[in-house]
Amino acid sequence: MAVFSEEAAKYVWGGAIPLQIRLHESEVTTLPPPPPALVLGSRIGYFPLLVPLIKPYFSSTLPPGEDTVWFDYNGLPLKWYVPIGVLFDLLSAEPERPWNLTVHFRGYPGDVLTPCDSEDTVKWSYINSLKEAAYVINGNSKNIMNMAQTDQFDLWQSLVKGNMDGYLRISSRLKLGPVGEDCFLKQASSLQPRQAIDEPDPVGSSRPSRIPVRLYIRNVGESLEDLEDAPIIDSWDRISYINRAVEIHKEGGNYMTLKHAMRTLLPEIFGEEDPDNKYELREEGNHEAGSSFGDPETISMTRNDLVEETSFGCQRSSEASLIRIQGIEPDLNIPFSWVVNNLKNPDYFLHLCVFLRTSPRQAKAT
Amino acid sequence: MAAESPTAERKVVVHLRATGDAPILKQAKFKISGSDKFSKVIEFLRRQLHRDTLFVYINSAFSPNPDELVIDLYNNFGFDGKLVVNYASSMAWG
Repeated sequence: MAVFSEEAAKYVWGGAIPLQIRLHESEVTTLPPPPPALVLGSRIGYFPLLVPLIKPYFSSTLPPGEDTVWFDYNGLPLKWYVPIGVLFDLLSAEPERPWNLTVHFRGYPGDVLTPCDSEDTVKWSYINSLKEAAYVINGNSKNIMNMAQTDQFDLWQSLVKGNMDGYLRISSRLKLGPVGEDCFLKQASSLQPRQAIDEPDPVGSSRPSRIPVRLYIRNVGESLEDLEDAPIIDSWDRISYINRAVEIHKEGGNYMTLKHAMRTLLPEIFGEEDPDNKYELREEGNHEAGSSFGDPETISMTRNDLVEETSFGCQRSSEASLIRIQGIEPDLNIPFSWVVNNLKNPDYFLHLCVFLRTSPRQAKAT
Repeated sequence: MAAESPTAERKVVVHLRATGDAPILKQAKFKISGSDKFSKVIEFLRRQLHRDTLFVYINSAFSPNPDELVIDLYNNFGFDGKLVVNYASSMAWG
């Protein structure tokens, strides 16, 4: 498999979610209410970038006042700095097309969402995410901080416009990858906590490199097969948002697959099989505890046949989780280097949704 | 991995450093629960400094998003047993 596949990147950059966006009823001042806006939301894009596209549909009916645009899905305000594709993968467990969303131009929920008053806020957030990723990869953010303002602007514009070639031209100079194919796993005991390092190591150094990962973890009810029955997420407290890094080595140990990476990222969930070791995912706040996890070995089965399966006579009752990246539910045996190089977002983070099955015992208790 | 368990149970020492003309706090080091979000650090600084607009960075490099857990930031970017948080009243690092 090639280190970097332009074909895969094109799919990621070309990926879009069909959106059907209605104006919230409290903001409708005309009869009949305006029809919904039908637009495509780029997977790698962000919701505020759609505002110029959507506003013309509703501007004639809005009550007087200043616009503070935000979106919700089933009442859950959508975090604007999470890429659209990630929000869709995470919140629409059984992919809903078009994705039915509500737009609000008033009443910004400042208790849930950080303010976003312009595209510049989104750009600032993106650049900071990129700097954070660079810090994980290189031990500092200098490559991004030393970028010419024009390059920073062009990089952002390439993302806004979905211009992959323009993006690759600038980002290739940032020395943030790609990860080589010779990507190995060392035994867990040799993992050392990372110290901040002022200077990037010279090329060819054997220092392990680190891959930045943002994880979004949720429960989907009793079955990973019937995702349409997954409970509606009504609060962000029901999502565990975890940022960790995967350490990869250029030599030694075992060849690293996605499964290995998941074990180092989430040992609580993907750890080695141990019948005495059932972990609990702690959720924030006072919500009920997450699933308990059993038999992680079975997780490695391919998920490609998910659609064809029925929940009847299922032999995989112990299967506890499902991973979704860029809308794909990948085989856990594929090389992690391929996943990183081809499925990462333009902020150099690998955004990964993890669905956990709630055990029937717990489901009854709730 | 067991020795360096990334669980959120533990406390993290946050070292607050003023940048530019931001006022210096009397107490610069705080312990905060690893399971808290970074937004708690931002809120704390806003209250202490009585400012609505504040730019808050890690290691003089980047602003994490406010939902990130303090323990994750410590594990990814902490050193010498603490997490260095810089704050400024105007944008300090792009």
